[in-house]
Amino acid sequence: MKYRYQEEMSPPPPQRVTDVAITRFEHVFEVEPGLMTDHVTQQTFPNWDTLRLVRSRADHLAWMHRHFADKVISGEELLHDLDE
Amino acid sequence: MTVLLGDPVLEELRQILGPEHVLTGKADRLNRARVPAPFPVHRWAERMPDLVVLPASTEEVAEVLRLANSLRIPVVPRDGGTGLTDGAVPLRGGIVVDVKRINQIKEIDLDNRTCTVGTGINALKLNEVIARHGLIYPDDPASYPCSLVGGRIGTSGWSLIGSRYGHTRDLVLSFDHVLPTGRVIHVGDGIGRKITKSSSGYQLKHLFMGHQGTLGIATEATLKLFPKPEAELSPFWAFEDYDSAYRAVGALARAGVATFAGAVLFDEWKVDYLRRDDEAYIPQPSSVKALVCAAMYGYEDEVRAGGRRLLRIARSLGARYLGDEISEGDWAARHDRYATPLHGRTRSGQVVPMSWHCEDASINYTNLPAVRLAWHEIADRLRRESDVFDDWGMFAYTNGATGADYLTEIDIGIWEQRLDDAAWEAWVRAKRDLAAVTLAHGGSISACHGSCREGEVDLVPVELGGGYDVMLDIKRAIDPNNIMNPGKYLLDQAYAEKS
Ligand SMILES: Cc1cc2nc3c(=O)[nH]c(=O)nc-3n(C[C@H](O)[C@H](O)[C@H](O)COP(=O)(O)OP(=O)(O)OC[C@H]3O[C@@H](n4cnc5c(N)ncnc54)[C@H](O)[C@@H]3O)c2cc1C
Repeated sequence: MKYRYQEEMSPPPPQRVTDVAITRFEHVFEVEPGLMTDHVTQQTFPNWDTLRLVRSRADHLAWMHRHFADKVISGEELLHDLDE
Repeated sequence: MTVLLGDPVLEELRQILGPEHVLTGKADRLNRARVPAPFPVHRWAERMPDLVVLPASTEEVAEVLRLANSLRIPVVPRDGGTGLTDGAVPLRGGIVVDVKRINQIKEIDLDNRTCTVGTGINALKLNEVIARHGLIYPDDPASYPCSLVGGRIGTSGWSLIGSRYGHTRDLVLSFDHVLPTGRVIHVGDGIGRKITKSSSGYQLKHLFMGHQGTLGIATEATLKLFPKPEAELSPFWAFEDYDSAYRAVGALARAGVATFAGAVLFDEWKVDYLRRDDEAYIPQPSSVKALVCAAMYGYEDEVRAGGRRLLRIARSLGARYLGDEISEGDWAARHDRYATPLHGRTRSGQVVPMSWHCEDASINYTNLPAVRLAWHEIADRLRRESDVFDDWGMFAYTNGATGADYLTEIDIGIWEQRLDDAAWEAWVRAKRDLAAVTLAHGGSISACHGSCREGEVDLVPVELGGGYDVMLDIKRAIDPNNIMNPGKYLLDQAYAEKS
């Protein structure tokens, strides 16, 4: 396993989504950093930690679904049925 | 009451509960002196209990109340502490009775499909156990992981999937309840623990539900269970204007689909908030002005059939399906909102940490559009006055399968660290104005959280009309010394009249 500090601590360049949001990783949205300078400042995160947080959020949501039902049905699949 | 070490009250409580279950430390008391709703932080010290007790049984609760009643000490019951009208916050010091140790599952009755639990347990923990029997207890607030059965009874809560299964008042069949004098009664439909409907006598179950701890403490409850659903469907749709979304949510609720569990309507302000501040960031084009989500539960074949019908209805009314990822993610996230770190914006757009306050009401479907505009005007006034406030938009949830009235809430961000008396006063005034709009439109000030907080509470006598005098009579009769949660719901008036 390799670990290079620079690689871990340099996120991909930001892409603007709207005037208040940017994205650096696919499906991960962040508040535009310029709006986090006066009262709440941004922390530096290693890339792996950002991705870990996102993945654990997804795990948590899947766990929450399982509390209520054994299976989640895809709306996209049902819409497809309607079109046929 | 200020309790000193060596105080005889303290000694007696230690005898009843064991010394380790009587807490006097500052951190223990501070932790139980607030709830997640915005709080006059600058006046926190005024709301501290003198001590906290952790009873383990109905008998211990009864002994604590007997003692408190004989010495006229205020008592505040506290479960998860997630109530949003400060119900569990002491206004007069005294004893906080934290019921979290009364959290056992005492019986699971598979034949009658009920279970009996201590009121210190919550639905999430209970469901982890009863899922092994293929069952679910479907009381599902957005505070699902952390509100407890006793607090659900204390507030008469509202469940996200209540259109399918009923709300707390329908799901809690009966409970043991300790009166302020220490007497223990069993309330339910008739005498039975597991009866869902009776017409014997007065309907006391409703009286002892939603009283915000002003009439005693529920300790052990029997709950109605359902088969754990095989399947869930949770579609989320975008609309180009509020009116189409409003028409769609009404049509979904009125469609009469048996597996329909609930639907939510998000207005333009809420969509803006989702785009800029919510952790469930939804990157939608600016043409999207309103959103609707729905949820369905049941066997897979029935959910599929009903789901197709709802998708067809929504599409015919101009809805665009947002895709599985957003639909499923948002619905699951609706059950863990407690964990969300919240922030809002100053008028210059800078991010600030903010607490969340939602003002809830029951509004008839036909009045939703008018209430929405009037409420946002009030939020707008607050925001113009001060950077302490932010408008986080409105939700409206269906209340029943008929869709007659909706749980309607406006969410307002509050920068608590900047609160002072002037900002707090502006806030209290706004709450009163929001409640007045509700009443002017024939609604109820609260569909689930209660209405005993500064501001809205002033309008409770107006909402209840002559019923409020009956409330005063009942309070006086059941709690002769005004020990239970004194100061809430303006019920001190009951005693002023007497003298
Ligand atoms: C993020 C979030 C989302 C929420 N979403 C919802 C929602 O969807 N639906 C909803 O209904 N509510 C919701 N709420 C509000 C809150 O969760 C409910 O009001 C809940 O019923 C309170 O339960 P609790 O255990 O936290 O009670 P607490 O806050 O501890 O107490 C609430 C009231 O009941 C009294 N009480 C407590 N225990 C007892 C008892 N054993 N006997 C008698 N009275 C008692 C207290 O004195 C207090 O007045 C939400 C809150 C948060 C923070």
